[in-house]
Formats: sequence, structure tokens, C-alpha cells
Amino acid sequence: MTNASKGVIDPQKKDPNEMFVGWASAPAVDRRFLLGALPAGLAASAGASWLIANELDDPGAGAWLTNATHQVTGVLTNHPYPMIRLADARAPFGMRTILVVAQGKCTSGLRLGDVAGKAVSASGVLIQREGRQMLEVPLFLGDWLKLADEEAAEPDALTNPQTEPLGKATLSGTIMDSKCFFGVMKPSLGKTHKACASLCIRGGIPPSFWARTRDGRESVLLMTDAQGGPMSMDILPLVADPVTAQGEIVRVGDILEFRADPNDYRRI
Amino acid sequence: MGHQYKAIQWNGNKIVYDLYVLASTGMFITIFMITGLATQPGGHPADPVILFIRALGVTAFALLTVILTIGPLARLSPRFLPMLYNRRHLGVTMFIVASAHFGLALFWYHAGGPLNPLVSLFVSNPQYDSIPGFPFESLGFVAFLIIFVMAATSHDFWLNNLSAPVWKALHMLVYPAYALLVMHIVLGALMTEKSMLYPIMTGGAFLFVSGLHLYAGFGEWRADNGMKSLKAKGWIDVCAPLDIPDMRAVIAPLPKGDRVAVFRYGGKISAVTNACRHQNGPLGEGRVIDGCITCPWHGWQYRPSDGISPPPFTEKIATYNVKIESGRVFVDPKPNPPGTRTNPALIDMEGASL
Repeated sequence: MTNASKGVIDPQKKDPNEMFVGWASAPAVDRRFLLGALPAGLAASAGASWLIANELDDPGAGAWLTNATHQVTGVLTNHPYPMIRLADARAPFGMRTILVVAQGKCTSGLRLGDVAGKAVSASGVLIQREGRQMLEVPLFLGDWLKLADEEAAEPDALTNPQTEPLGKATLSGTIMDSKCFFGVMKPSLGKTHKACASLCIRGGIPPSFWARTRDGRESVLLMTDAQGGPMSMDILPLVADPVTAQGEIVRVGDILEFRADPNDYRRI
Repeated sequence: MGHQYKAIQWNGNKIVYDLYVLASTGMFITIFMITGLATQPGGHPADPVILFIRALGVTAFALLTVILTIGPLARLSPRFLPMLYNRRHLGVTMFIVASAHFGLALFWYHAGGPLNPLVSLFVSNPQYDSIPGFPFESLGFVAFLIIFVMAATSHDFWLNNLSAPVWKALHMLVYPAYALLVMHIVLGALMTEKSMLYPIMTGGAFLFVSGLHLYAGFGEWRADNGMKSLKAKGWIDVCAPLDIPDMRAVIAPLPKGDRVAVFRYGGKISAVTNACRHQNGPLGEGRVIDGCITCPWHGWQYRPSDGISPPPFTEKIATYNVKIESGRVFVDPKPNPPGTRTNPALIDMEGASL
């Protein structure tokens, strides 16, 4: 608008019907209104932001320790998923099992066939949640993985860990990807994480079955097929949904596996 | 006005408006992040990236909610016209925040896997046959596409080249986009988070926006309905001349659904279309300033007698022939071509035509 037009509206004129025009000075009545409305808007905005963020659910106890490289020495196995078993006299059953996953969401490309069953020393980023641990490593073999002294790693006790069937059970809970659940994503449960969990499991990250006991304790079991092999991709549509399944609980070393046919899972 | 195109035609009000929008948006996101990281529900720190994704999503939805309330609020009270003046900058700000939410969520949840992230967005949750299980991400994506098209065509260059009706129709898609975003939240975050605050706030925002539009729309319907008897063939009896406030207008419905704005300025009465050439703003809710009809939305101006913007501007709107007979103002419902000069009806001291 022309400069000449700007002088037409007198900001001092106290006419309640005076109209705000963007290219002119605001009328006094609008200025008075804005002097109250603008701070009120900021206060309402700040209050709403605080309220919304303050009500978020507990994201879980996981941790992704990206600021340090962690080294573990033990026996590497590929079955049903890549994992390293290491001797630990203070741990239940005298050993700890650490799942091994690649960076990102594609672990299925991790080729460990040549060193599977051997004592290794591996370094990577540790992911952990309430005693459960996972090592995140580069997708391709490199300096992060070295053969270790077999005697030091006690391979005989770790290569074939004690397997104990604990009986058949019908479990209700949620299928999630172990990597996010252990600490990479917080929160890692629920529908907002369903697509990510599905993508991770599709990429080869081990699926886990998460259930909460009546007294509030978390129970997490590594999912396998009925024979103890890697779980089929048929479960992908059910990931992150409330499901139930009948299967067998088996202790392998220090971890619990839930062995069930993928077709036995039902959405609740 | 639009005789030439510049990226932004700045003035003092626009600068103040934009600074306020940036400050409030930045403050909202900052408080969300600080609160989310500091409160640590259950004693567990939140994931900063996911928290940021949520902060951006909440901010974008809040901005769109505010944007959609401005129109009806400005119809209900002229005190809200300053919010409307630079609303498109608020819209572009919302688009930038929504883009960051979309981009970061796509990267964080869908990148680095065995599928293309955009493919993963649509197939990782295949429950399209279920309402509670429906993949909320796809709803957000469609809403984002609409918002992108709106932001890309927000400049007056597109308004002029697409024509006002096409542009207006395109930008009315903001309502389906808002509905999609409400469902994006309902079928996503609300199915994950336990707090009742979120359904209350989301539902409240939706009801507030809907209610305001219904209330403002009801006011227009009632005004139109009050003049229903005037919808006859031939010239339309609008009102008595002095029923029109000086320098303002009475809006009357026309038989074909359009509206005419009948202005009184001193002892003269002229009639023009109620739709501004710029963004279809309600000219009849504006005023005559400096001898020109001035749109309440963005201050575009037209001379009452010929509907042409004052030099150097060249925009034109349709005019209507008007006359005063037996103490009543009559309007010919047939519009003149935009920019057609008409003879204003003249009022005598008693309100009858001279």
C-alpha cells in the first residue's frame, strides 16, 4: 500500500469499531488487546508444553552406551541368533549371554560363519536393560572381532550350554525387537514403535517376547521357532500388538527362550 | 498489493508477527525438551531424539489448531484481525516444523533397515483392514503432502496464477489435512501413551476448532436467512439506506449463492462483490478507508464506484448496480464485469434517494 495511506488511520483514535489494517499502524483498541493477548498466548503455550511433556510415560530402563567401546571375550555362536557367551562366576549359571547385532536395523548381513563356535574377543557398543546385554558391532568383519585364547574363554562350558526345558506355557504379551527394547529406542513399546520394531526384526534383529508379571516384573524371553531355530518372518504383522501364544519355555545357559510355531501366535 | 511480486513485502506488523511466532514456537519446543528430559518418569531418561520428534509433532499440531481458529475468531471479533493478517507465515512455520517432524521420524524409525524408508513407512505396519491397528504413519504422510502443496503455493504468485477460486479450493484442503492429523494422533500416540491428558487435549482442540467454525458459520447462515425473503427475481431489496453504518457495509445473499457488499460512504451507496480479489476475504466486513473499500484480512483496497484498486495497483472486482426507491436500497443481482464503473445511489437527509 502507498505511504500516503499509512497516515489515514490514527492510532490514538479511540473508536472501538476501528479496523486493523496490516499495512497501517494498529488502532489503539487493538494495541490494548494485543498487550494482554500476546503475553497470555505465550503463557498458555508454555503451560501446555510443560503439561504435555510432563505426562509422558516411563520410557523404560534401557541404555545405549554410545560414548564408549566395550570389549567382551567368550564363545561366539550363530544359533538361533548371533551371540557371545562368556564365563562369569557371579552370574546365574556361571555365564552371561550377550546378543550381537549390527549397526542400524540390518543384522541379517552379519556373516560370522567362519568364527562361529570359537572363542573370540569382540568390541562394540554396549546396549543393556536390567541385566540383559547386547553388543552392537559393524556389519562387516574387521578389527572388532578377533579369535581369542580358547582356554581363557572356557569354550567347553560355553559352546554347548546347559539346556533345560521348563515346560509348556501360554504367554500373553508383546513381540518387540530386542535391540530397541534393550535401550536404543526409548520408548520401544506400543504402536508408535510398531513399524520400527517390525523393520528391525525383518532386518534380522532377534525378536523378544515381553510380558509383565502380576507383581509388575518384566519377563523377557528370546523368541525362536518350535525347534529352537530363528523365528520366521510370518510374525511381522503381529509385532508390537498384544498377542498370546502357546509354546515351550527352555533355558539355554542363562537365557530363557520361548519356542513356539509362528502360526500359533494370536492377536488379543 | 499484488502488482509486483516480492518474496515478502515486509512491514512493521509483519516483523512483529513473525518474531512472536518464532519466539513462541521456539519456547514451546524448548520447554517440551527440557521438561521431557528433566522429569524422567520412572527414573529413566527419555530418548532425546524421540522426545524431539514428539516435540515437533505436538508443536506442528498446536500451530495448525491455532491457524484454524483464527478465521472464525476474526469473524466473531475484529480484535483477532491482527492474527489473521500474516497467517500464511504462521502456516509456513507450521510446515517447517511438520517437515522436521516427518523427516526425523522417517530417519529414526524407518532408515537403516532392509527396506527403503518410504516403503517401510507404508508396509511395516500392514494392518490397513483394522481401525485400531491402522498404520497412523500413512495418515500423517497424506496430511503432510497436503500441507506441502499448501506451503508451496502460499505466495501471491500462485494465488494470481491459479486464480482465487482454485487457490482457495486448494487451500480448503487444510480441513481434511487437520482431520487426518487428528486421526494420526488418535491412532498413534494416543494408543501408546497412557495419560488421559492427551485424548482430552486432542479432542478439545478438535472440538474447539469445529465448534468455532460451526458457530461462525451459523452466524452467517442466520444473517443470510434473515434476508431470505429478498431472494426474489429482479432487483433485491436490501435495507433502508441509513441501516448501513457509515463507511461500512451490509452483506446480502444473492439468488445464485454469491454475496454482495453494499457500502455507505457519506451520502453515497455502492455495491461490490463480497469476495476480495486476493484471498476471497469478506469485503463487506471491511471499512471504507481513504475513500476505498478495505478488506479486513490483508488490507487490499478498491474504489466503491468501479471496484478498481487505487493506482499503482490494478486489481478489479465485480460491481453491482444499486438504486434507492421508496426509502429502500435495491441491488441488481446481475454482477457487472470486474472494474465496471457504476453510479452510486445518493441519499437525502431523510434517507430517500435524490
